[in-house]
Amino acid sequence: MTTSLIDFWPVLLRGVATTLWISWLGLILGGVLGAIIGMAAGSRSRVLRASAFVYTELFRSIPPLILFFGCFYGISFGFKVDLSPFTSATIALALEASAFMAGVVSAGIGSVGRGQWEAAQASGMKFWQIMRYVIGPQALRVMLPPTVGVYIGTLKDSSLASVIGFVELTKAGLLVREASGASFQVFLVVGVLYFIINYSISLGGAALERKFHIAK
Amino acid sequence: MYKFNLQVILGYLDLLPFAVGMTLLISVQTIVLSLILGMAGALCRLSDNLLLRFLAAAYVELFRNIPVLVLIYIVFFGMAQIGLRVSNYYSGLIALTLNATAYMTEIFRGGLIVIPRGQYLAGQSQGMTQLQLFRHVILPQVVRIVYTPIGNQFIAIVIGSSLSAVIGVEEVANWMFSVGNDTFRYMESFLVAGLVYVAMAQTINFCRIILGRLLMRAPGSR
Repeated sequence: MTTSLIDFWPVLLRGVATTLWISWLGLILGGVLGAIIGMAAGSRSRVLRASAFVYTELFRSIPPLILFFGCFYGISFGFKVDLSPFTSATIALALEASAFMAGVVSAGIGSVGRGQWEAAQASGMKFWQIMRYVIGPQALRVMLPPTVGVYIGTLKDSSLASVIGFVELTKAGLLVREASGASFQVFLVVGVLYFIINYSISLGGAALERKFHIAK
Repeated sequence: MYKFNLQVILGYLDLLPFAVGMTLLISVQTIVLSLILGMAGALCRLSDNLLLRFLAAAYVELFRNIPVLVLIYIVFFGMAQIGLRVSNYYSGLIALTLNATAYMTEIFRGGLIVIPRGQYLAGQSQGMTQLQLFRHVILPQVVRIVYTPIGNQFIAIVIGSSLSAVIGVEEVANWMFSVGNDTFRYMESFLVAGLVYVAMAQTINFCRIILGRLLMRAPGSR
């Protein structure tokens, strides 16, 4: 049985590539969305703060599986738009990642002393200039380690895209299982592949931390 | 245009309490098992035995990096193939526990590691047994440190238990799938199920904060 499994390697490797691609997409989109919400969480307006709080709490308390279901079937039937499993999965992953990235961004901005804001404002800098030249570079250093964590979380959540029929690594595993009948070996291989990917990412993150001399 | 209509799924609402009960049952069992195993794992990670330390560290890295869904498939489909048929409920429970134990181990390790070595020596010099030392000196301090992260892990477990729906455990996510498939009211069933999960997660959050204020005051501040 195991010998025939080798014939299915291309399918699994395609799955690995798709998983990497969709989770990367989810992290980038979620990061952009999360940055906006994270800035809202640290703003002076009470309404913005409250909406950011509700947003993060909401998306952290809804299981990713439910979110994938809602983004695929819910939106397709609710708004009569034809969403591909890929689009739905990307939206769901981005929403999920954005809630966590919002926390990372607001903690990163919060780590920079209040005095620097005041100093930058006093020297006549605009909001975006302060963000770009004063707060951003310092906040990014603080944000790197938790962002690696969010990426790994997003990559693991991308396995749920299999439920709505998007062929990534887990779905590839399910397909190979049906074709070969070797459930145990297939899912063991899939599990090991996920482990290798995620462990490499966390090792890479640790290497980056050392490179930029980020204290734990 | 799609008309939002909760009326249609009203008939399925009386199945919801059973589904919520199932979610709570599998979550509570996972929580209890992973608390015990996680504490054991943390003690292994900090033990003097090199092999135990390595095994516990390897366990944590392995099970934190594999998606729970894949674990569920390994236990449910994989074990059956090698002759160990595990029912869908226990497959879910085993997979969720394997995953949660890895996180609990790290949480407890974080709590244990900050206790200064001098306290162990001081306790021993007072003639305390290992168990007394652990129970009266170490644990009360560890509980304060791990309290908040463990509360968050409880929420993660309740949310993660939704994955057992894919192998047919009849909990809230499964209720959502079957109502959606029966009525085609996907949006409504999604919103109801989402609301149930938000309510459960926020209840845990609320209880954690209230209990924390009541129980976790520093000694001497009362």
